[in-house]
Amino acid sequence: MTRLRGAVIGFGKLGLLHAGLINGLQESQLAAVVETSPLIRRVIHQHFPHVAVHDSVLSLIAAGGFDLAVIATPTGSHIDLATALVERNIPVLIEKPLSLSAAQAHPLCEALERRWVPNMVGYVGRYIDSFRQAKRLLSENVLGPIRMIRSSMYIEQLLKPGEGWRYDPKVSGGGVLITQNSHVIDKLRWLFGEIANVSGQTNRVVSSQVEDHAHAYFRFSSGAAGYLDASWSARHYRTPTISIHAQGDNGTLDVTDDEVRLFLDTPQAGHKAGWTQWRTPDLYEPVPLDIGGTQYSRQMADFLTAVRNNTAVESDVASALRTQEAIDAIYASASQGGGNVSIST
Amino acid sequence: MPRVVLGHNQFFGVDHLSSQRGAERAAYFADVRNVLTVIRLAHHAGATGLMLSTHPRAIAICDALRKDEELRANLQIVPLLPYAQKYVTKANEVGMVRAVTGTLSDASMRDRLGLGVDFARTVLRRDPIDMVRALIRLELRMFRRLPVSVVFLHDAISDLLLSLGAPRVFDVYRRTLQKRFGATAGVATKNLPLLLDRFATWGLETPAVLTHVNKVGFHVNPSLREHEQCLRDESLQIMAMGTLASGYLKPIEAADYVREFSSIRSVVVGMSSPTHIIETFRAFLPRQKLIR
Repeated sequence: MTRLRGAVIGFGKLGLLHAGLINGLQESQLAAVVETSPLIRRVIHQHFPHVAVHDSVLSLIAAGGFDLAVIATPTGSHIDLATALVERNIPVLIEKPLSLSAAQAHPLCEALERRWVPNMVGYVGRYIDSFRQAKRLLSENVLGPIRMIRSSMYIEQLLKPGEGWRYDPKVSGGGVLITQNSHVIDKLRWLFGEIANVSGQTNRVVSSQVEDHAHAYFRFSSGAAGYLDASWSARHYRTPTISIHAQGDNGTLDVTDDEVRLFLDTPQAGHKAGWTQWRTPDLYEPVPLDIGGTQYSRQMADFLTAVRNNTAVESDVASALRTQEAIDAIYASASQGGGNVSIST
Repeated sequence: MPRVVLGHNQFFGVDHLSSQRGAERAAYFADVRNVLTVIRLAHHAGATGLMLSTHPRAIAICDALRKDEELRANLQIVPLLPYAQKYVTKANEVGMVRAVTGTLSDASMRDRLGLGVDFARTVLRRDPIDMVRALIRLELRMFRRLPVSVVFLHDAISDLLLSLGAPRVFDVYRRTLQKRFGATAGVATKNLPLLLDRFATWGLETPAVLTHVNKVGFHVNPSLREHEQCLRDESLQIMAMGTLASGYLKPIEAADYVREFSSIRSVVVGMSSPTHIIETFRAFLPRQKLIR
């Protein structure tokens, strides 16, 4: 089996991680990098002579010699880059969030309608062991109908004004809601189904142009309702800390990056009544190569399989567009003082 | 390598089983006196080493250790380089290039003079290998006048370098440590078989390795079987971490498993409460078969 040749666009933190996986996994190899920083281009050129280095995607496309691309640039540039690649039949893995807004993503969606290629958006949280276990439990319908959902994401990232593109809404699309909480909204949709309408409030405390705190109320198509509470200016949280709690007719479910806790009134689908807990060592499954967490390896393996077989993945552009619509709706609601905003289906 | 090493995660709020417990401990250990109390207890219970990441809080711990003659004389420091989250947070703001060049440019005058490295020139010349050398020396500066015989490169960095294929960086790292610190250049990894394979292919000497060793295979890749096969190679020098699988396993069962492998020369265990320290060291210490 020939190794798939990958191009990585944007050699920042995540670009580096994806490049490592592509090069380290047996079924693929790093063939090209696009990067605007001359220093990084020089490092790649010196240390990895087999990798072609480009300063633009146009130059990459003109040179060819790659079978798939990973887009790990600032959010605002995702759509133009991905559309250019899809139009040339190149499968793409786009880092999350998909775009600045759902409207911005339309050219890419249209390009995929004209000429479908395997496509993925990097909602890597779906590949974390604890959330995979939660998904399995919910797929078995252990909780029965879900009535109430509470979720949060906190990190101590910003206690004074930040620097860089993440705090410029023209490039990032917004603050803590779109940046880190696109992950939470994606997980909520993945676990509990589509969101029908929202109301939201956002708050700027530290940043002058983007929100540092976001609070949203959701009504799901299933009838379940719940909240998201989010902040990147939350003390005591060293790394992004996500927590989801759900109440169903049969019991409750709590999920974090570290554990899953299930409570059932009566036995369901082979699970006992009372509390059952799974901690990360219970759920750990090895991967061929772990860089920065097994979830990244599993995500890349799914993408490579899809490219090889010309098949679709769960976390594709169409799915990420729905997450984007929910984010847009929260921002729209917040700008109107928190009124109810429906998400078109 | 020191035989039994006290881990550092609890001091810095790292807890792979519970972020909330991690945050609570970080608050308690913000007071360096509480850190020293745990280090002394561990030392009296038999620890001969202390692992310290180059976390900003480690500076105060090192200052306190330099003032404590007994600990300084009897406890080897095992630096873990670098505290990756520090660079991740910086890179989130200003990008990777400025996270690195900024760290070098911001190095205080005292640091620059003490090291005799011209950081401004290193940044200006933009030679990546020079930057690696300067970063290593800057990161390790906090350990000056403390006994250091082995340093480990954090797996977040080394696993990336292994996958990308960067033998030159590993070689520069080894030479810099040997020349400037007279210390062994160890490498941490979550992919032990890959590390051994890559170093052999590159014709580089196999380094001392810091890697997870536990019977449930937590953080062990690509499979427990292949990992165990590597651990049976007596010529290796392994420091075992994650032996308790973040508190998931009991110290006795963890120590019994570690004893199965002759390559394991050293164990690093994290802890916080006095009863936990005593229980853990009782399990790992008495049977000297563990460590030769």
